[in-house]
Amino acid sequence: MNLIDPTVVDLSRLQFALTALYHFLFVPLTLGMTFLIAAMETVYVITGKPVYKEMTQFWGKLFGINFAIGVATGLTMEFEFGTNWSMYSHFVGDVFGTPLAIEGLMAFFMESTFVGLMFFGWDRLSRPAHLAVTYLVALGSNLSALWILIANGFMQNPQGASFDPVTMRMQFNSFLNLVFSPDAQAKFVHTSIAGFVTGALFVMGISAFYLLRKQHVALAGRSFRMAALFGVISSMAVVTLGDALGRLDYLVQPTKIAAIEGLWQDSNAHSSAAAAPWLLFALPNDATQKNDFEIGIPYVLTPLVTHSMDKVIPGLITQENQAGPRIENGIKALNALEAYGQTHDAADLAAFKANEDDMGYGFLAQRYAPDQNLNQITPANQGAVIAKTEKDIIPNVFVTFWSFRIMMFLGFYFVALFAFASYFSLRNELQKHKWLLWASMWSIPLPILACEFGWITAEAGRQPWSVYGWLPTFQAASSHPVGYMVFSLIGFAVLYSTFIAAELYLMFKFARLGPQPHHEVPDEGATPMFAARAAE
Amino acid sequence: MGKYAKIFSLAVVLGLAIFLAVVAGDYGPWYFAWLVGTTMIVLIAAAGAVLFDTQEERGEREI
Repeated sequence: MNLIDPTVVDLSRLQFALTALYHFLFVPLTLGMTFLIAAMETVYVITGKPVYKEMTQFWGKLFGINFAIGVATGLTMEFEFGTNWSMYSHFVGDVFGTPLAIEGLMAFFMESTFVGLMFFGWDRLSRPAHLAVTYLVALGSNLSALWILIANGFMQNPQGASFDPVTMRMQFNSFLNLVFSPDAQAKFVHTSIAGFVTGALFVMGISAFYLLRKQHVALAGRSFRMAALFGVISSMAVVTLGDALGRLDYLVQPTKIAAIEGLWQDSNAHSSAAAAPWLLFALPNDATQKNDFEIGIPYVLTPLVTHSMDKVIPGLITQENQAGPRIENGIKALNALEAYGQTHDAADLAAFKANEDDMGYGFLAQRYAPDQNLNQITPANQGAVIAKTEKDIIPNVFVTFWSFRIMMFLGFYFVALFAFASYFSLRNELQKHKWLLWASMWSIPLPILACEFGWITAEAGRQPWSVYGWLPTFQAASSHPVGYMVFSLIGFAVLYSTFIAAELYLMFKFARLGPQPHHEVPDEGATPMFAARAAE
Repeated sequence: MGKYAKIFSLAVVLGLAIFLAVVAGDYGPWYFAWLVGTTMIVLIAAAGAVLFDTQEERGEREI
């Protein structure tokens, strides 16, 4: 069997990366702004002060622009699994399709239904009912993310399914293991809270713009204060969850964590594991398998990654060497599986079961087997096939190392920025520190950039696997002609760029305009919700 | 709602919260952390706004 054209695989990866990264320009703002808007509306409902209604409606309008344009970019990705990744959909469709279906049926409909009520229900719903709707929008948007990240958690650390040699695909056998997978949990919280940081900095930055121009001061001052406090806790939580994900990668994705840390040799290679430096700066060279230049901080890497002072982090070269026996076992597993498909003999099944855990490594070897047929591997050529395959288990270290560092440095910058913003806002000294207002305004795009680099770290670091340890990426793609892939790639790039241009135009337009007076209706909100009770 | 009905309702909510905490703490500690953390983040942001109004009323505010 000939494998799929590598050019088609690369174009499929590029197309998915492009559409996913475009989509994620919109997502974090939705995840974060919904809860921040809900917080503003909560204050409006409790205090009855019209300024909080104005804040809710103004930021709600900017959220609405982002939501309306962003939601369209997410839909195409679900179809891409079928069109461009049909082998993947066949192999893990039972497992992967379940969270995607739940996301579509439960969270997406919930979010879309209530978002209409949120925008058009101000004059039709009571204040508490409208507040409940706003919280349901916030919950719905984050639940959408939850189910997608459960699906992604399966790709990083497959749980809740096992391979069935009869159907030749992964069979779903534990919903609870899938949903409560540690990877899914940590990834959801990390991503959701990163959205909170994005939403907070968006509100804080635009508020800073108004404060610098001394426009809409009542709205901007309150919005800045709320966003700063919302952001300072969120940014610290993002760092905490980042640490949890790193520890998890050490346990279940050792190649990814070694690539993130630019670790070619074991962490105890120089002196002791405890003394291993954490690399602040390095130039990883994938071709020579070493860092051309590096600056590290000793005694940080081991406690940071392993949460101990003595555990060894295996380097990429060690992991490459250790992959040899697994590749050999994988070849045995796939040959036994093929034999079992023809004979249904119990001995073949037993031979497969004995090596089942390494089946994915057999798939990896297929591209180097004579005629891409594992049956043609002989004792004479097996060593050469395994040696070539071993090199493939390592992700692109330069990309993984630097995308992680950019994300992480930005993450710590956000903690510092929000801490200063909270401090000076609480002391009412923002106008004395205009640098902070300028920094807040110019930092608006940075959390989105951090989210993008976070995804590049997660997905580039997972390579060469589509489903870690089970299905290589090159096996997962569909067999399209190159022309089809180029045409659809250009189409998506043009279409999505148009969406981004429309989003930026509308955001700039309405942010510059600021809050506008709404149509006149009696403002029942002028009465605090608890005032009547307090007067009794 | 009568006094005892209120106490009973609060007891039910408390019981459910403890049940959720125990189950979620065992099976989904990060999910539980998200629930608690998000609630806390929203409440602290809201408290910041209320403090802003209080400072304004006391004439402390210059922004």
